[in-house]
Amino acid sequence: MFEYVNPSRVFFIIQKLINFINSIFFVILIIALTFALVLSPPDYLQGDSVRIMYVHVPSAWISLASYSCIAMLSILSFVFKIKNLDIITKSLAPIGLTFTCLAIITGSLWGQPTWGTWWAWDARITSMVILAIFYILIIFSHKLINEKSKAIKLANIVSIVGFINIPIVRYSVDWWNTLHQPTSIKISGSSTIHSSMLLPLMLMLLVLLLYCALIFLMKYKTEIIKIKKKNFKRL
Amino acid sequence: MIKDLILMEGYGLYVWLSFGITALTCAIIYYKTFKTLKKYEKDFAEDLYKLSETERKLVAEKSKIASQILASYNKSI
Repeated sequence: MFEYVNPSRVFFIIQKLINFINSIFFVILIIALTFALVLSPPDYLQGDSVRIMYVHVPSAWISLASYSCIAMLSILSFVFKIKNLDIITKSLAPIGLTFTCLAIITGSLWGQPTWGTWWAWDARITSMVILAIFYILIIFSHKLINEKSKAIKLANIVSIVGFINIPIVRYSVDWWNTLHQPTSIKISGSSTIHSSMLLPLMLMLLVLLLYCALIFLMKYKTEIIKIKKKNFKRL
Repeated sequence: MIKDLILMEGYGLYVWLSFGITALTCAIIYYKTFKTLKKYEKDFAEDLYKLSETERKLVAEKSKIASQILASYNKSI
């Protein structure tokens, strides 16, 4: 099964995917921004500040999703010793860190008009900061350790240990009394968000997911070229 | 209408800053990632061009990735 994700096999598809995403990205971006900034209604309590949700929530979801992916792939890498999985996790980590930071910054910008403070050490925000620290540790273990096998091993251990933090981030608003409101959107069960706000939220999520895919593909391609360059003499 | 869109009932600063910071960060990361990819593609192609023509053909036959990079580098020059 893992033979199908062999770098040599996927290398040809990567450029086609990059071109495809580039061709549709700006159209979807304009539609999503129109809905998020113009067409969606203001909240009856928060007014227009609710529009920050359209960048804050997708950023937070992406940061959690990419960390979960990294942790799962690290477990698989430990079990099956597949180098390609390490390239994928290495390419995903900077994307995850970016969106964790964006979620924290936009959250802070939303907190000031809503709660009257830029920052509070509440459970959700603190666990997001811990998530950012785990991302930094993964990236640094690749950058600072010269011996590749050791760097990969350490990055895998860090990502697996950090996976404990994911349910803490997700359920922190239910387990503790925090400034954050309880979950509004549920995969199972009914969501409490109105469809006029859910649509722009999903559109912005799609835009940011496409952006992530674009960055991931470019980083993944760069990593493959780096490896090929190192093994140049063997060719 | 444009004034309403900019001011957003007094929340304009927070909303536009959130979207602006996100857009700027995404643009910078896209630019940096794209530049790094192109640099490595160029370096790799230049290394291939240092080889003799026979060696280069042999490498291109052995490695599909090398042949693709050579092809895209040829297009760009």
